[in-house]
Amino acid sequence: MSEPPVYGIVAEFAKSEAIIAAARRLRLNGFRRVEAYVPFPLEELDRELHPPQRPWIPILIFVGALVGACYSYFLQYWAAVISFPINVGGRPYNSWPAFTVSSFEITVLFAVAAAFAAFMLFCRLPLLYHPVFNTPDFDRASQDHFFLCVEACDPRFDAERLRDIFAGYKPVRISLVPT
Amino acid sequence: MSDAEQEQGYAPLVPPGLTIAKLNERVSDVVLKSGAPRWWWVGFSFSFALFLLLIIAACWLFINGIGIWGVDIPVAWGLAIAEYVWWIALASGGTIVSALFYITRSEWRSATNRIAETMMLCAAASAGIMPIFHLGRQGLFYWIFAYPNVMGMWPQFRSPLLWDFVCVICYIIMSVFFYFLGAIPDLATVRDRARTRAKQIFYGVLALGWRGSARHWSNYKTAYSIVAAIMAPMVISVHSVVGLDFAAGLTPGWHSTQFPPYFFFGAVISGLALVIMLTLMVRWGYGLYDIITERHLNILGKVMLTGSLMLTYSYVWEAWGPFYGSDVAERTMFLERVFGLYAGVFWSKTILNAVIPQLLWIPGVRRSPVPLFLISAGIIVGMWLERFVIVITSLHRNYMPSYWGSYFPTFWDWATLAGSIGLFLTLFFLFLRIMPIVSLAEMREIVYKTKGG
Repeated sequence: MSEPPVYGIVAEFAKSEAIIAAARRLRLNGFRRVEAYVPFPLEELDRELHPPQRPWIPILIFVGALVGACYSYFLQYWAAVISFPINVGGRPYNSWPAFTVSSFEITVLFAVAAAFAAFMLFCRLPLLYHPVFNTPDFDRASQDHFFLCVEACDPRFDAERLRDIFAGYKPVRISLVPT
Repeated sequence: MSDAEQEQGYAPLVPPGLTIAKLNERVSDVVLKSGAPRWWWVGFSFSFALFLLLIIAACWLFINGIGIWGVDIPVAWGLAIAEYVWWIALASGGTIVSALFYITRSEWRSATNRIAETMMLCAAASAGIMPIFHLGRQGLFYWIFAYPNVMGMWPQFRSPLLWDFVCVICYIIMSVFFYFLGAIPDLATVRDRARTRAKQIFYGVLALGWRGSARHWSNYKTAYSIVAAIMAPMVISVHSVVGLDFAAGLTPGWHSTQFPPYFFFGAVISGLALVIMLTLMVRWGYGLYDIITERHLNILGKVMLTGSLMLTYSYVWEAWGPFYGSDVAERTMFLERVFGLYAGVFWSKTILNAVIPQLLWIPGVRRSPVPLFLISAGIIVGMWLERFVIVITSLHRNYMPSYWGSYFPTFWDWATLAGSIGLFLTLFFLFLRIMPIVSLAEMREIVYKTKGG
């Protein structure tokens, strides 16, 4: 056992322009397993790194809302019509206008819960340990520096070549990160 | 808009001296420092003393029943219900600042939204205890849940009181999701700045392993904006349904179609007032003068003025309705409200909510902390008086003269009020110590957009 297995090579940048330019270069050179770690959302960077996807989160939220709507209306219908019908002045048991308020609230509750669940699912959270946390100085990814990582599983992964590519964009540091 | 305002000589949203590094340091280090500042201890001790009073008042209530309050027939809804409405309005204001102004893409929101959301959670706790206290048998409050039970009974889903319960439960759960979702990236910043092992683990677990990858951010943005877009109409529905509790009652002074929007306007003005008071306190306490600038105060003042104008419109409508309609009881009740036993309360709330806030038309008043704080405090008191007027004066002059009476709060009524304020402040002070009080991720983005980097 000479060296520990490598998770990827990470370059740390102080400027957002540098990381965006480096990400574009990597994409043009055919690297596909590339991820950036940044302190705030940079839409331009996201466009360089990830091909546009189907909007799965909104779809899941819609499904959540639909489930909530059916559940809440059915609950009220069941209670007022099937399980315990009370005749109040001959009014219909299925008094839907009176059921809309609770249905709306529970629908949006389910939608928000689905949004949170979908967010966790697609971010693969909670995940308290991740190899990229081994990067030196990675604390600053949540503060003011920008990190670009090419993972070792990329078919074109070649640490020496990547070092050369990164060096062209004035990184603060380039490091090989163990898993 | 921001360029035009800067040309007019307004203070900038991001002062020249503020950098991303400074922002992270200022906001996260106040929660990471081991000792709390002196003002925090003073405030916390005071709040905690009031909170202990709430515990005593609650124990005495549970032992003796609600007879220890001034409530009786005909005024069977006393301060507890008035305060429930008051607190839930204050909570709603937090969501309005945070969610409504997120969808309008107002950049000024980012410096104040965490304060507003924290306020919303703490006020919701104070609101939630009130209806439970007001039950005759508090231990059986869970009967209002729809669950299969041996009695074979269900809650009455056609009742506005049940709608209200569903709204408030859903609102509190959704608020927690909204708050936490927004806080995850900031908790990661605090985790990464923490230097002791215990704090790293504590904030590490709370941040759930957030790495800030490009994929994370895009999912976060999508989820957060949709949740904000849901929260905004949701909060309007919550306070409108509180209004429906009253509108569906046949009591004169309640039975009015304007109640849902009327209550929501009250939520805008009182919520904004509390956001302003807490913002000023946090700004002063933590010295965040370069993060929360005069520009923010100016805008919050304008929104509060808008709330006051909307509420004034409702007041006018409320006075006009009884005389336009033909209901003698409505008219009798209204005249009694304006000139009778509780006239002082009526006129105080009118002055505090509708007249004094007109000072906010003057730009200098909106930008100076002390007048802004005093006007906001006046509004908070005024809104409490308004809830008193709505709940109590309506009940004390019902349809039949034989059903007239009066209501005076007892010591335990006041103790519950003071205690609920204690509960709110205690929670708020704890949040101040534990959670970052400014939305760092959003502020970083704004500083970056203004300055590049």
